[in-house]
Amino acid sequence: MKQHMVKIIVLVVVLAIGTFLFQSYGVSEKLSRFVVIMKNIAYSLEHAKPAYEDYDFSITDDELKDIDINKLAKEFESSIDKKKKAKRKKIAALQRLAPAEIAADEIREEERPTHNKTRLVKAKMVKLEDLPDKFKPLKKFLHEPFKMGACKICHTSKNNKPGELVKKNIVDICYSCHKTRYTKKVDHKPVKDGKCMDCHDPHQSNTKKLLKSDSVNNLCMKCHDKKSKFKAKAEKLFIDMKLPTKHKPIVEKSCLECHDPHTAEYKSLLHLDAKMDLCLDCHDDEKEIIKHSKFKHGGVNTSKKRCLECHNPHATKHKYLLKKDRVQTCLNCHDEEVKSDEDGGMLMNMKKHLEENPNWHKPIKEVEKKGGCSACHAPHGSNNFSILRKSFTKNFYADLVNKEFFCFKCHTEKKIKKQYIKSDEHNITSFRDGDVNLHYLHVNDRKGRSCRACHDEHASKYNHLIRDYTDFNGVKFPLRFIETDEGGSCAPACHKKFEYDRVNPKGIGQ
Amino acid sequence: MRLINSYIKFFIFICMSFVVLYAQNDSFEISYPQDNRLQTELTLNVVVETHAQNFDTVKIITPKDKIDIDIDSNKSIYCKNISLKLGENRITVRTYKNEKFVDEKIRHVYVSSQLYHQYKYPPQKYKNSHFHNDKNEAKCVKCHDMSVNEVEKVAFIDVTKSNCYECHKSITKEKYGHAPAVNWLCTACHNIKSKDGFKYGTIEPVSKSCFDCHKENKELWDASRYRHEPLDSGHCNKCHNSHSSPYNMFVRKPVNEICMGCHKDKHIKAILAKNTECGYDDKKLCIECHTPHATNRPFFLKNKVTK
Repeated sequence: MKQHMVKIIVLVVVLAIGTFLFQSYGVSEKLSRFVVIMKNIAYSLEHAKPAYEDYDFSITDDELKDIDINKLAKEFESSIDKKKKAKRKKIAALQRLAPAEIAADEIREEERPTHNKTRLVKAKMVKLEDLPDKFKPLKKFLHEPFKMGACKICHTSKNNKPGELVKKNIVDICYSCHKTRYTKKVDHKPVKDGKCMDCHDPHQSNTKKLLKSDSVNNLCMKCHDKKSKFKAKAEKLFIDMKLPTKHKPIVEKSCLECHDPHTAEYKSLLHLDAKMDLCLDCHDDEKEIIKHSKFKHGGVNTSKKRCLECHNPHATKHKYLLKKDRVQTCLNCHDEEVKSDEDGGMLMNMKKHLEENPNWHKPIKEVEKKGGCSACHAPHGSNNFSILRKSFTKNFYADLVNKEFFCFKCHTEKKIKKQYIKSDEHNITSFRDGDVNLHYLHVNDRKGRSCRACHDEHASKYNHLIRDYTDFNGVKFPLRFIETDEGGSCAPACHKKFEYDRVNPKGIGQ
Repeated sequence: MRLINSYIKFFIFICMSFVVLYAQNDSFEISYPQDNRLQTELTLNVVVETHAQNFDTVKIITPKDKIDIDIDSNKSIYCKNISLKLGENRITVRTYKNEKFVDEKIRHVYVSSQLYHQYKYPPQKYKNSHFHNDKNEAKCVKCHDMSVNEVEKVAFIDVTKSNCYECHKSITKEKYGHAPAVNWLCTACHNIKSKDGFKYGTIEPVSKSCFDCHKENKELWDASRYRHEPLDSGHCNKCHNSHSSPYNMFVRKPVNEICMGCHKDKHIKAILAKNTECGYDDKKLCIECHTPHATNRPFFLKNKVTK
């Protein structure tokens, strides 16, 4: 018993000492911390993250959709180009040297005429009152030497001939003061030939810059009018300003908005490339579409003349300064099979198609009223295939009932989506068997057919723009459509010959 | 003496019969089909070539038809379209003069079908054979234009203009017609020329041709987990008739019969188990619950079954 007691006492003592040590050294705390650390290690081993090499940095399609590339590009461009653009515009404006518009102090230093003071002093001044009668009454703007009465700068009185000049060539006299000779790539013909007097009056004028006409435009049109006697080699130098549609800057401002009257870096006396850059300098909104749209029109982007392929920069008969109407302009290029920029395929010969098929879609038929090709296609570019203004389907099958379709912009949805047409609405479609709308029958299914399965969007030999062949998986099947007075019949590949009749229904769809 | 006499008589009879046979061998022949032909279609064109004119009518007797052909002195080759039954067919061509029997020749044709156990494995003597080689076509040129006049991938507006139509029109007579067949775009599928000079064969397996058009289906089915064996092996024509059929979707038989052709055990099982959901009621179609092509669910079920 005693032995047992000793054992128990020893045990109790050991336990007491143990608990004391345990608590005093904070073993429990350390233990718990150790457990936590081990747990963390275990967790991190379990949910180990892959190394950086294993990460997929590619962007998924869904993420791509969220990113608006156009917007990004716009922001980027605006942030960087803002200053550059402003600077360039200012320089361009200066380069244009439009005398009617720009105040004298805006003209660059070196272009100011330098008046030779010594010569002025030597010259015998003529008072304004003493000038010959032909200069009276004096006009609004006077040439500086003329104003001062320093006739002798230009004229001599040696031979007693009135108006005898100091030098043989008038240019030499002009350039003796107006020392900046025009040295850019392209010169205006009169400048090149030294015929300053063709445009400027050396003494006085009612218009700024001593022009020989009452306005800049009229001065230009003296030569560049189609009816003028002026003979230039190139036809394009003539402009018919009597046409109804004119380019705004010409009407509201002057020719000098685009052209430099003396000399310029680019063809046609322009400060930027005429094909596109010059146009986009003002037409900012179109720039966005032309440069950044998903599907670009080759006519603007890759053609020879770019903008000028379709537009005339001055004046035309047709809307939007187009050279021809909104169908013929397009047929200018689409009169043969053209390679598509979209997918590299060949686009159909539209001119031939329209010639062969006499029934045209209304926008093509009534160009001025409905808008021609551009009623459906955006000529500068679009985010929809075939540069369509709104999305459409390429496929034979399309769920038409649940979706909005481009065609419904003009055609009523009822025509397609209403299953039965009551007698008071019979006029909305003639493709019905009694009251049964046969359009609905064709489109309502999961395998509903798109409009283009049966209709040709452009032109057809048959009424209602019914196709002669429908394209199914690259195979052309004829529709064999026959129209009768009260109905008709079709025998395409999709089904055998079905007849329909508006008055005596044949029982289709029952 | 009697014995010798009978021997002599018999010998003379045999000699006579040989002479008769030899003489008649020349009078006409069946140039198509060859004997012991194996095929899957239920129609056939028989070509009879006449040499001598010791008869005025030819009769073609098949299990289904009796066709009379009047002999024209200017013609030597006659062709007729006949319909056949599944299994062994005996085609007898007989000649008559003044309604008296002259001669006959026989051809055996076997129409096999993968959908019937009894017609699945034809006797070994039957062999596949084809018609369209240059030698055979030369016989037809007198009456038929044997060239291919279809424009690739453009169907005829008037299908009777097709050169194939005249001889093969019977294959599209059924109610449901497959679009390329009823529009006579034959060479879309019949575009293989064999080594021994036969034209217009089809690619093996057939599905390669089918999926030229039915691309969407192929994508869908290829992505599926379970695929029905005939689809996976590319034998679409096992169940479908690519030309025309009296049944919807160009299947060769009513749907349930097709399924039961192979899965007979399932039918019996269902009846024994009195499973009203599946198979017990004959009015219910197998394809109401099962998809015949491919699916991600076991047992080719269309929807999840909750029970």
